[in-house]
Amino acid sequence: MRRSPASNTTHKVVRHSIKFNLLKWLIAPLLAVNLIGAGLTYWLAWLPAQDAFDQSITDAAWALTSQIKRVRGKTSLELTKQAEQMLRSDHFDTMYFVVRDANGETLAGDHNFPPVNQIDEPNEPVTYDGVMNGEQVRIAALYVSIERTPIYIGIAETFRKRNQTHYVILISLLLLDGVLTAFSIVIVLVAVNKGLHPLRELQQNLDQRNRDNLTPIDVEQTTEELTPVVKAINSLLENIRKGATAQQNFLANVAHQIRTPLTGLRLQLEWLQQRHANEPETAHSTELMTSSVERMVRQSNQLLALARAEPSRFKPTHLEELSLDKLVEESVQHFIEQADKKQIDLGFDLQPARVRGDRFMLRDLIDNLVDNAIRYSPPQSTVTVSCREQEDATLLSIEDSGPGIAPEHRELIFDRFYRVNDKISGSGLGLAIVRDIAKDHGGEITLTSGEEDCGTIFTVRFPHGAKEDV
Amino acid sequence: MNVLLVEDDLVLADGLSRMLKSHGLSVNTVNNGTDADALLQRYTATVLVLDIGLPGLDGFEVVRRLRARGSNMPVLLLTARDTIPDRVHGLELGADDYLVKPFATPELVARIKALIRRSSPQPTQLTIGGLSLDTSSKRATIDGKKVDFSVREWTVLEYLMQQASRVVSKQQIIDAVLPWGEDVTLNAVEVYVSRIRTKTAGSGVAIRTIRGFGYMLEKSDA
Repeated sequence: MRRSPASNTTHKVVRHSIKFNLLKWLIAPLLAVNLIGAGLTYWLAWLPAQDAFDQSITDAAWALTSQIKRVRGKTSLELTKQAEQMLRSDHFDTMYFVVRDANGETLAGDHNFPPVNQIDEPNEPVTYDGVMNGEQVRIAALYVSIERTPIYIGIAETFRKRNQTHYVILISLLLLDGVLTAFSIVIVLVAVNKGLHPLRELQQNLDQRNRDNLTPIDVEQTTEELTPVVKAINSLLENIRKGATAQQNFLANVAHQIRTPLTGLRLQLEWLQQRHANEPETAHSTELMTSSVERMVRQSNQLLALARAEPSRFKPTHLEELSLDKLVEESVQHFIEQADKKQIDLGFDLQPARVRGDRFMLRDLIDNLVDNAIRYSPPQSTVTVSCREQEDATLLSIEDSGPGIAPEHRELIFDRFYRVNDKISGSGLGLAIVRDIAKDHGGEITLTSGEEDCGTIFTVRFPHGAKEDV
Repeated sequence: MNVLLVEDDLVLADGLSRMLKSHGLSVNTVNNGTDADALLQRYTATVLVLDIGLPGLDGFEVVRRLRARGSNMPVLLLTARDTIPDRVHGLELGADDYLVKPFATPELVARIKALIRRSSPQPTQLTIGGLSLDTSSKRATIDGKKVDFSVREWTVLEYLMQQASRVVSKQQIIDAVLPWGEDVTLNAVEVYVSRIRTKTAGSGVAIRTIRGFGYMLEKSDA
C-alpha cells in the first residue's frame, strides 16, 4: 500500500488509481449525457417556439385574405387604418405585408416586399427566411384563389422577438445544465470517496503498523469486496510471522548447538596455555586461538540474545519482579575480568532499583551495554555502571570516558550490523539487541555525551507505568 | 575431593577433567546418563558435575533418581540451554547449582569449591601467596611470621580468602559477618579492609577495590 520510493525516482511507472478511474468513468459519461440532454431540451424548447411564431404570422396572412375583395374584376384590400395599425404593431418586431396578383403587381402593402409568387399549391402557407429593408425577416407566404384569380399574400416579421426567446432558452438551459453538472460531480465525488473509504481504512491500518506487528487484520471489520484482499494479506502476515519464528528458532538452536563444542575448545586451549606458558611461540599461538574462541563464544551468545530479544518472540509471561542492582551484581565478576584485560577502571553506583522483566533478557541488555563500553573505551579509561530508581521510572546508565559518539552516528548505532569503528572487533549486534530488549520491556534507550562533552552515557529508562502494559 | 563428571562431549569432558585436576581435584568421567546412574548407585563423589543433554538418561533424570535414592550429594548442572523453565526444572529436581555453557573455568572451579565447602567440613588451612590462615586455631601467619587480627578483621579476611579471585560486594561481606548480631555499616567494612591491607602488606596478597561495589582478594606479584 505504501508508495515505494523507487518508482518515483527511477522510471515513471503509470500508476492506476481506482479513484481516478472511477471519477473518469463516471464524470465523463455524465457530462456527455448532460450535453446530449441539453441539446435535446434545446431543440424541444426552440422548435415549438419557432413553430408558434411562424403560426402567428401565418394566421395574420390568413386573416388578411378575408379582407381581400374582388369587385368587378378588380382586386382590392379593404383594410381600415386601425386594422393595418394592429397588424403592423408589435412590441418588439416590425411587421410588413404585401398582397400581389399573379403578375407580381402589388395590390396593397409594402412595395419592396421580397417576391412571394414561388408557391405552387394554393391555400398551403409556407414560411421562409428573407431580407427586408436590410434586415433579416421571417416570411409567411400564402397563395389563395379569390374568384378564380390567384392572389399572393406575404407577411414578414423581423427576428427580434425570436432572437430574444432563443437567447432566453439558451441561457436558461446553460444555467440549468451547469448547475446540474456541478451537482452531479459533487455527488460522484462524495460517492466515490465514500465507496473507497474501506480501502483507505485498510491502508491506514497497514501504514500505522510498526515493523513487528504481524497480527492479522480483523476480517469482520472489512467490506465484502475487501475480504479476499484482507484474507490474502493476513495469510501473508501469517507466513512472515512463521518465517520470523522459524528464523529465530533456528538461530537459537544453532547458538545452543555450538555452545558445547565451544566450551570444550576453550577448556582445551586454557589447558594448553597453562602448560606452555613458558614457550613464547606456543603461548602466542594459543593466545590468538583463545581470542578467536572468545569471539565465537560472544557471537553465539549474541545470536541467541538477538533471537530472544526479537519482539515477535517476546513472551510477557516470563516477566518477574527483579532488582536491577542484583542483576548487575551477578555479572560483576565477568565485567571485572573483561575490564582488567584493558586495565579499565570499572566502577559501580548501584542503588536499589526494581524492574519488571525477563531475567535473561535484562542480563543480556546489561551485558551488552557494559561490554560495549569496555570494548570501545581506550585502555586505562573509566567506565561506570549505575542504576537508580526515580519516581516514575527505573534508570540504568553506563558511562564511559571514551572518544564519544559523533551525532551523525547516534541514530544509526542501534541498527543491526552498524559499527562506528571497524578496527574494533564486534558483531554490530550488541546495541540492536539492547534496543530490542529495552523496547520489549516498554523502556527506551538514550545516548548523551558525558561531562565536558567527553565520553558517552547510555541510559535505559524503564517506566514504572509501562511495566503493567507489557 | 573427587568430582564425578558426566559429559557426553568428549573434548569438553577431557578439557574439564584436566582443568579440575590442575585445581587439585580428582576427577572421574562418565559419558552418558545410564552409566552415570549405574555408577552413582554404588559410588559417592564429593560433587557431581552433570550435563543435562546426555544420551540415554538425561541429566534431569539422573538427578531425580539420585535424589529419589535419598542422596544429598551436591549437584552442579551444566547446560547449553539457559531458559527459565530449564533452570527451574533442574533446581526443582534437587540440583544445587546451574551453569550455562560456555562458562569461564574460574567460575566453574569457584562454584565446585563452594559446593564442596557447603557439604564438607571447612578446610582448616587457607593459603594464598605468603598469607596463611588456620581457621581452627584462628592463627594467621605471613611467610611463617605470626600476625594479629581483631575478630572482625579476621572474619572479613577469612571470607575474602574463601572468595579469593572473586569480586564480593560490601553487602556480601556484611552478610557473611552478620553472626556478630551487630549493625555493620558499609563504612565499617571499608575500615576493616583498610586495616587488613596494612597488616598484610608485602604478603603477596592484594585486596583490590572495585569502585562503588566491593573488593577482590587476589594473589599479587609483589
